[in-house]
Amino acid sequence: MVIRIAAVGDVHVDEDVVGRFRPALEELPDCADVLLLAGDLTRHGTEAEARCVAREFGGLGVPVITVLGNHDHQCDQVPQVVKVLEDAGITVLEGTGTVLECAGGRLGVAGVKGFGGGFAGRCASDFGEPEMKSFVRTTRESADALASALLSLDCDALVALTHYAPVPDTLAGEPLEIYPFLGCYQLGQAIDSAPTALALHGHAHHGTERGTTPGGVRVRNVAHPVIKQAYSVFHLGEQLD
Amino acid sequence: MTGQPGDAPPDEYVEAEIQNMLTEDPSVAEQGITVARHERGLVLSGEVESPHRREEILRRVAERFPDTPVTSDIGVIRTQAPTQVEELP
Repeated sequence: MVIRIAAVGDVHVDEDVVGRFRPALEELPDCADVLLLAGDLTRHGTEAEARCVAREFGGLGVPVITVLGNHDHQCDQVPQVVKVLEDAGITVLEGTGTVLECAGGRLGVAGVKGFGGGFAGRCASDFGEPEMKSFVRTTRESADALASALLSLDCDALVALTHYAPVPDTLAGEPLEIYPFLGCYQLGQAIDSAPTALALHGHAHHGTERGTTPGGVRVRNVAHPVIKQAYSVFHLGEQLD
Repeated sequence: MTGQPGDAPPDEYVEAEIQNMLTEDPSVAEQGITVARHERGLVLSGEVESPHRREEILRRVAERFPDTPVTSDIGVIRTQAPTQVEELP
């Protein structure tokens, strides 16, 4: 049995984008059990832009699950953005998870926006100025929330959904100097702490599609500029039999 | 300040200022545009979600840095349905 997952991130929807994705999205019920959105749904995180997201990604005939991205925080309207999305039937995860009954089994999705910080040996530490400690604590709290959410789900296949990257592999193509702003190793550690089958993220527009965590979990960067199509489809399967 | 006519600003500072503007200017808000310095000016490359956004980037950069020659190689990301799936056994 197979669970079919469609995913895309960084769609940055505003009035000028409404309708561009829709023809491809209308095909989803034929090819996927769920659509996962890896954050940066909007340009500035306004309620008006969230309504555009709701028009484009609402009422698709498959469940839609999302995390928010850094752009969705820009105008400090997160509660309003979340409400608009939830009113459109889109599930918004932040340190939380959900389980879907699919024809191929129970799919668990745990999600968090995540944060930067860098990767093993080249990362920020919880030390020094309050601003730096606050930065790194945000990273750690986000990763801890993802780990808890992953471990709380009772399912056949477990997927981690983040905006920031959990591994450097999928950042290849980005300048090395900005890796600490694109992801952190703590998210990878959280993913490896649970029986995760697949990790999906966005944020790195110049990155690459494929990577793995140190624990061997497959990671896919589904940022729209990376996949260059409306969404990618993954078939998670044989381990369920 | 950098980018003003007559100031002869170091190109590196203009590059940095344009890069920041592309993200921080509310009418642009793009983090995926690369600014590269070439002998004859700056080249902007990357991909955006609509033709309107590409035009807006060029308009805002020209408005703010009228004396800087800028070449655009910005594309609009395709939104077709996928033709293949990835099997993850």
